[in-house]
Amino acid sequence: MTDSKYFTTTKKGEIFELKAELNSDKKEKKKEAVKKVIASMTVGKDVSALFPDVVNCMQTDNLELKKLVYLYLMNYAKSQPDMAIMAVNTFVKDCEDPNPLIRALAVRTMGCIRVDKITEYLCEPLRKCLKDEDPYVRKTAAVCVAKLHDINAQLVEDQGFLDTLKDLISDSNPMVVANAVAALSEIAESHPNSNLLDLNPQTINKLLTALNECTEWGQIFILDCLANYTPRDDRESQSICERVTPRLSHANSAVVLSAVKVLMKFMEMLPKDLDYYGTLLKKLAPPLVTLLSAEPELQYVALRNINLIVQRRPEILKHEMKVFFVKYNDPIYVKLEKLDIMIRLASQANIAQVLAELKEYATEVDVDFVRKAVRAIGRCAIKVEQSAERCVSTLLDLIQTKVNYVVQEAIVVIKDIFRKYPNKYESVIATLCENLDSLDEPEARAAMIWIVGEYAERIDNADELLESFLEGFHDESTQVQLQLLTAIVKLFLKKPTETQELVQQVLSLATQDSDNPDLRDRGYIYWRLLSTDPVAAKEVVLAEKPLISEETDLIEPTLLEELICHIGTLASVYHKPPSAFVEGSRGVQHKRLPGSAGSGESADSPDTGSAAGVSEAPPAVIPSQGDLLGDLLNLDLTPPTTSGPPPAPSSGMQMGAMDLLGGGLDSLMGDESEPPPVPQRTDTPQSPQLSHQSPSPPDYSPTELGGDLGGSPAMGAGFGAPPTAMPASFPPPVSGGLDDLFDLGGSVGMPMGAYSPPKSIWLPAMKAKGLEISGTFARRAGVIQMEMTLTNKAMSIMTDFAIQFNRNSFGLAPAGPLQVLTPVGPNQSIEVALPLSTVGPVMKMEPLTNLQVAVKNNIDVFYFSSQYPISMLFVEDGKMERQVFLATWKDIPNDNEAQFQIKDCHLNSDAASSKLQGSNVFTIAKRTVEGQDMLYQSMKLTNGIWVLAELRVQAGNPNYTVSLKCRAPEVSQCVFQSYEAMLKN
Amino acid sequence: MISQVFILSSKGDHLIYKDYRGEAGSDVINIFYEKVTALTGDQPPVVMSHKDLHFIHVRQEGLYWVATTTAADSSPFTIIEFLNRLTALVKDYCGSLSEKSVQMNFALIYELLDEIVDYGYIQTTSSDVLKNFIQTEAVSARPFSLFDLSNVGLFGAETQQSKVAPSSAATRPIQSSREGGKSEIFVDVIERMSVVIGSNGVLMKADVEGEIRVKCYMPSCSEMRIGLNEEFSIGKSQLRGYGAAVRVDECSFHQAVRLDEFDSHRILRLCPSQGEQTVMQYQLSDDLPSAPPFRLFPTIERDTGGRLLMYLKLRCDLPPKSAAINVCATIPVPKGSVSLSQELSSPDQSAELKLQSRAVHWMIPRFPGGTQLSALFKLEVPGLSSASMLEVGPVGLSFELPKLTVTGLQIRFLRLSPIQPGPSQRWVRYVTHSDSYTIRI
Repeated sequence: MTDSKYFTTTKKGEIFELKAELNSDKKEKKKEAVKKVIASMTVGKDVSALFPDVVNCMQTDNLELKKLVYLYLMNYAKSQPDMAIMAVNTFVKDCEDPNPLIRALAVRTMGCIRVDKITEYLCEPLRKCLKDEDPYVRKTAAVCVAKLHDINAQLVEDQGFLDTLKDLISDSNPMVVANAVAALSEIAESHPNSNLLDLNPQTINKLLTALNECTEWGQIFILDCLANYTPRDDRESQSICERVTPRLSHANSAVVLSAVKVLMKFMEMLPKDLDYYGTLLKKLAPPLVTLLSAEPELQYVALRNINLIVQRRPEILKHEMKVFFVKYNDPIYVKLEKLDIMIRLASQANIAQVLAELKEYATEVDVDFVRKAVRAIGRCAIKVEQSAERCVSTLLDLIQTKVNYVVQEAIVVIKDIFRKYPNKYESVIATLCENLDSLDEPEARAAMIWIVGEYAERIDNADELLESFLEGFHDESTQVQLQLLTAIVKLFLKKPTETQELVQQVLSLATQDSDNPDLRDRGYIYWRLLSTDPVAAKEVVLAEKPLISEETDLIEPTLLEELICHIGTLASVYHKPPSAFVEGSRGVQHKRLPGSAGSGESADSPDTGSAAGVSEAPPAVIPSQGDLLGDLLNLDLTPPTTSGPPPAPSSGMQMGAMDLLGGGLDSLMGDESEPPPVPQRTDTPQSPQLSHQSPSPPDYSPTELGGDLGGSPAMGAGFGAPPTAMPASFPPPVSGGLDDLFDLGGSVGMPMGAYSPPKSIWLPAMKAKGLEISGTFARRAGVIQMEMTLTNKAMSIMTDFAIQFNRNSFGLAPAGPLQVLTPVGPNQSIEVALPLSTVGPVMKMEPLTNLQVAVKNNIDVFYFSSQYPISMLFVEDGKMERQVFLATWKDIPNDNEAQFQIKDCHLNSDAASSKLQGSNVFTIAKRTVEGQDMLYQSMKLTNGIWVLAELRVQAGNPNYTVSLKCRAPEVSQCVFQSYEAMLKN
Repeated sequence: MISQVFILSSKGDHLIYKDYRGEAGSDVINIFYEKVTALTGDQPPVVMSHKDLHFIHVRQEGLYWVATTTAADSSPFTIIEFLNRLTALVKDYCGSLSEKSVQMNFALIYELLDEIVDYGYIQTTSSDVLKNFIQTEAVSARPFSLFDLSNVGLFGAETQQSKVAPSSAATRPIQSSREGGKSEIFVDVIERMSVVIGSNGVLMKADVEGEIRVKCYMPSCSEMRIGLNEEFSIGKSQLRGYGAAVRVDECSFHQAVRLDEFDSHRILRLCPSQGEQTVMQYQLSDDLPSAPPFRLFPTIERDTGGRLLMYLKLRCDLPPKSAAINVCATIPVPKGSVSLSQELSSPDQSAELKLQSRAVHWMIPRFPGGTQLSALFKLEVPGLSSASMLEVGPVGLSFELPKLTVTGLQIRFLRLSPIQPGPSQRWVRYVTHSDSYTIRI
């Protein structure tokens, strides 16, 4: 007789039959009946009607039967809360049973019955079980506290269970310790500031001792808990590392990975010149390699984690390239992950080996994998400069195979290689052109068109090639259409005489016959540019493009730091911070790595660190803008295959500068009579300007356009008859641009005591054709000023200065024009003060106080970025009422509090207070406790954000502690930096 | 933290469903099944998410073993490792792993699930600890039968040369030993090799992963001592003994293994738990003690009739007494290949063209060491070009090498102390598998 018969009873009177069997006198029969009930429950039948009958079987000395009944109870108690009470007596009795198995079983099951009424009966038995003599009962009771807390947190606190739980951390049985730690960690998550799991050197020591004794799963709890601790100094960090390293050779790979997490985190604190640091690095490699011999599922998770580790510390695995070579029977998702890691590890030393491998992969059967392999060759070329030539020749070999998808993929990556090494490998263009006909994928077609346009001057029949694409213009995908438009405009700018017809054709196709707003917009931009100022058009369209760098495919550093803290967790598999995939309530805390020994922030405790908002939503800032800029400079070709968020911060700056060009170019060019046609687009490709079609009459007339072209008669003819659709779609004048410049007069106030950093060089002469700009920011008499020294280091005279800002975090904008009245001769310097307003367009920058500036003179337009001290934005009426201060301080959640240390400051509290007052940091109250002065201060930013501060000054101690509370915790870091600058100045 | 655990059949039937934390309903089972069956080949199946719930699963014996979690900080690693242990435990307790055995033993499995996880925290997966708690008896899926000699798995014991035990002897539930089942212990030394041989015949990469697995049916476990080769050495520098050393790069042990006699005498001491456990794992990379077992000499050309000719000579470099079995060479062929004609050197071999995977499979049931086989394949490929010649290769080989370890690791002795009362039997088996054996052309 087997159990499978339980699943086959489906007759009508089934419930009735079961009922009879359950009430049978024979134990065996009862047991069989309960089994049948549970079988029905598993397949999803509703057997809740049998509740009273099953509960009746509960009082038995047969453990097997009891377990079955309890299993049933756990499932149905919630739907039958009233009847569940019937079971309470038996539970309470079972908790007193001489058999520890029954005691534990009762306490475990009671915790799983999530019915409020039962919980009150649970308290007494639970209290006894927490102090039971049998460790099996204690460890079950420890978990039960967590269960109860989830149902009724208040009850747990009132009953004092938390303290008992804390005591269990020192229990003699490691299993009890592990469960207590797990339960406390979970409870602590819902009370972020409760300090429940108070990690101090003593408890850490206890945990480390328990680590050696408990089961593998207990070891994981403890290691994960250790990872949340921040050691006081590098010595403690080293001693913890030493005691954790033996876990690296554990057979359970989850233990290994948890140990790796602890080590990766604590390693940050070790000085790199320490011998032990090197030893540790060596010890980390073998266990990581071992993880790759597990089942594919584990391998995949391991590879996702190794991918992070390799980005943070490539040195660990630099000699282990071979283990990442793919096996032919690896599942495809493992193969792709390995490929990615191979490229991250590629260096000059091993590139030959890697390329040989990749070339092999490129001839395999699996199409997806082959494509990725070909892309990988391109990424190698971009990453390891010395190998570029070899990569290109490998790619050419692959193109010779004429395998369709290989050729297309190769062309896409060769385009990237051109971007990285301009003017180096153009000799291969001829080979590429031979394959023009076989390209049927949009990405490959777009890449090829880009190449033809970019190198139009070297390809004799470029116009024919592009023309051939133009025939089926409307059937192409948007990507190809955009690229074709740009390429033909480039061609025209390079060979104006022969290609007029072509450019006219494409512009009219793009603007008149297309219903794609992106394409139309771009068409108009080019048209307008070409018609207004062909020279400017040339500068814009043929501008030097930023080089592609290998970093484009790296994970953004702050995100990477956070992910390293989450090694082994879901975040490390998704490569997303937990906040991105878990909603609000539980467990979302930004973590970050501890600073290395001796650096300024190393003293921060992890709590304040996480509250400081440093890693707040790291990757969100740049991308939207990137698209817009890319559009204008035809950079929209996708970067080489990326796995993380694409743009690196450095490129963000560059792109930001481009945006300026888009928004204000025409203004800078002095074309005041007409509004700039360049739409100031926000983030979506479908710019709002299209719907702006204003009721006011169009600003352009066809003749005007023709007139503008006067400069180059050859072209003039081509633009004689603009499409009728064009005028209507031009937007009304863009506000917030140059108009602002004339709003305010530039009055220079008297200098006050406000802090202003010394001038630093913002734009070196090297980068700006001889114009050097150094400067600083200051707040004088309530006006923010940008004070600059313009130095002409070139041979010719500079005139016609103008300035514009990119959108920034606080809406800073010039309040007047740049007052440079006289031309600046060679080797001459001029001081300028530019008053700033804070009513300009706002966009969050990274870092927050970053400001991107464009300066134009008669020679060119230059871009630079600078950071202003946030203290400049503190307004004069930033003094808060005491009562308001108190209320606000309480009102702001503790999560928003950030604490910082200011070191080596030798002022007493009064001097500090008056010094800060000069910069509009107002001291509201002062309190002295045990020789420690506490200053309560407030300040208000121009955009109305209040920042509250508590500054603690200990007499004779040069280290200050400042706690900042603000509803926008992102500003805390900046405010702290300003504090430091103001006090030390 | 584990929120739910469930086991589904390959058709999506609910076999087992256990909710630990009451965070999600049982309706997620169907969501999981829809998701997992909708996956395409290149999407990693390991971790999937639905709203706040994350599914982590492994597939064993056609069953889906799924755990769900809602906490962002749960470790998929822990959960996968846990699921693997769970499958092993269920296998130990039920004897074998199949839809039927899971269905028949649901009460036992629920009992196991209750003991090994509490409120989502994994408590223990050691059968030693669990045997104190588990009450339900296993129901065997099929009676033990001598007819069930599956492919090769014969246990040949070093100590008892003449005797062999059928492989199914090791697939019975551990608890049946309570009622006077035989007390037996099975030790497997299993190695997997992955090799890449370049087109010039040079060995480019050779890795061996090995493990010693013990399956124990001793009711009261006493201490067991496993003696390895005395000249076994770990790492590059260390060498032991006079003869050729048996060397591995890395070695890790089950936490129950005591190593106090390991350094001096290469003896592993442990008290084996009931059921199966891996007591030792080891790796060797890039340095095989002997020549790789197979070498291939291919000649590929186009004949006058536009057909693709592949003349393959395959050599087996094992010691003459050994033999490889179930050898299968997979040779990728150009796209558009239509038909295959073949000349094979012996009648027991076979070959066929698999159009779906675009490859020729050449099967050799038994391949003795020191011999050489050859095959001539003629492929009809319309429009064969020189470029499509490049699509031939690399050749993948799969095989089994019974009674052989490529590292040379041997078990010198297997002692139980104190001596077991009554009859007890000890079995040792060696086998090397191909993990990935690639020969480039």
